[in-house]
Amino acid sequence: MNRDTRMDGADARRIVGFTFDGVACEGREGEPVGMALWAAGNRAVRHASTDGSPRGMLCAMGICFECLVRVDGEMVRSCLTPLREGMDVRSGGKP
Amino acid sequence: MSRGAERTIDADVGIVGAGPGGMAAALELSRAGLTVAVLDEGSRTGGQIFRQQAEGLAARGRLAEPPSHEEGHHLVHELGEAPVQVVHGATVWDAKPGRLWFERDGASWLLRCQRILLAPGAYDRCIPFPGWTLPGVVTAGAAQVMVRGFGLRPGTRALVAGSGPLLLPTVTALLSAGVEVVEALEAAPRSAMFRALPGVIGNAARLREAAYYLKALLRSGKRLRWGWTVFGVEGDGRVERATIGRLDASGAPIRSTARTIDVDLVCAGFGLVPAVELAALLGCELEWNPLRGGWTTKVDEQQATTVAGVYAAGEIAGIGGAEVAMAQGRLAAAAIVRAVHGRQVAPRTLARARSERRSADAMLRAFPVREGWFALADASTVVCRCEDVSYDKLGKAAAIHGADGRGIKMGCRAGMGPCQGRICGPSLQALACRAVGAPCTGAPMDRPAVQMPVKPVRTATFLDAPQG
Repeated sequence: MNRDTRMDGADARRIVGFTFDGVACEGREGEPVGMALWAAGNRAVRHASTDGSPRGMLCAMGICFECLVRVDGEMVRSCLTPLREGMDVRSGGKP
Repeated sequence: MSRGAERTIDADVGIVGAGPGGMAAALELSRAGLTVAVLDEGSRTGGQIFRQQAEGLAARGRLAEPPSHEEGHHLVHELGEAPVQVVHGATVWDAKPGRLWFERDGASWLLRCQRILLAPGAYDRCIPFPGWTLPGVVTAGAAQVMVRGFGLRPGTRALVAGSGPLLLPTVTALLSAGVEVVEALEAAPRSAMFRALPGVIGNAARLREAAYYLKALLRSGKRLRWGWTVFGVEGDGRVERATIGRLDASGAPIRSTARTIDVDLVCAGFGLVPAVELAALLGCELEWNPLRGGWTTKVDEQQATTVAGVYAAGEIAGIGGAEVAMAQGRLAAAAIVRAVHGRQVAPRTLARARSERRSADAMLRAFPVREGWFALADASTVVCRCEDVSYDKLGKAAAIHGADGRGIKMGCRAGMGPCQGRICGPSLQALACRAVGAPCTGAPMDRPAVQMPVKPVRTATFLDAPQG
């Protein structure tokens, strides 16, 4: 876990493992998948349909749909979807 | 039993949004003996401004919390103790008077209620600039969510740019998280500082708040640059550099002043836009009010919308901040209690809402949207992120089909993606007008067109929607 991306202080949440496009990552149980991805250094979570340019979280509150990913096969907003142990997260394509 | 009866909840009043307005209203209604259900899309009570840390997390910021957040924590605590049903993770996707359909954990739910209070808040106004689609460019609100909600240190070197009173909270949140704020740029000219004073003077809460932020800024050794903004962002797949510079009197970039700084995070917010889509869907009349963020929900002096049984409080009825939202939430609650029990609305409840509204308007007057901001985009800048429409494409569509909402949609699909124009909508017409050489600060030519579902939901959510 990259400690530079998290603030100091107590954290009672369980550390859980998940994969992003097949690569093993760690995050905190229950935090939004988007936050776990960001903290793990993955700012680009999908690619634009036209030119394939990388896109990442913009509003972090469920409004912009820029952070869409596929979690266990279903397209979701990563900024609102709670992280669970063993999730299979794939980068989203066109929203 | 009708279909989906087990996924139906009943309450006297259904509230959308557990922010300052929704919380304050829920408490008053519950004290008056009414049953209340609050639907909120977030994972914790508090909304954006009174955002609580994630459960189990006790991240330690380097700065004390702003004074207003104490009142926020207090409200959150009180609501937790009150007999009010708060449903988190609830995305409301359809509404009729007395009915709110929402999706939660992939399941389809219905809230049946006698009255609806809409308090869904607002979102950041985004102004497109070259490179703003690069990962690492986030809204000012997003920076706060990451830091205050989830204890992230979202970057190491940040640029904060935009306009309005939310810039300072963004800067202090980042400083608190240990992020170096390389530049903090307010697009409004320095004179805005003095123009905003009437909004602060005579309002104790706002005065305390402003003092807190200015002190935090002074201590950090940072100073706010007035009349500056971000001209563009570059990097290989993520933010690595930003170009910043001065703006002229119209808000347009003065290219000769541009200089480049190394940053890995850009937080941009040019004020707020009211989240009016549920009001529009319910058939409530909207009012164009550029001072209060653009399209706002028309309400009477007791927060009733033009649709019977539907009330609106806080940002949805015009941007004003937490103090306005709480005062209007309490006023709406009193109006609902009056309608149910025939009890009169206390004059001080009315007076408080009016005085908070006046202070907020005075503050907003100092930070108007400036026409020149729309000159930040260049030909290849993406203006609609969902449909990947460039400024160039938008201009071509506007030239053929017209620079109004319908022409833009028909010509290039801008505003028709999953965000349903929440991000690009407030800027599209101004950008289209600029592209065809028309003045771009006038009233919009179209009302926001809103259709169910107001947010994309799973097909199963439609099919399984409880009836009733």
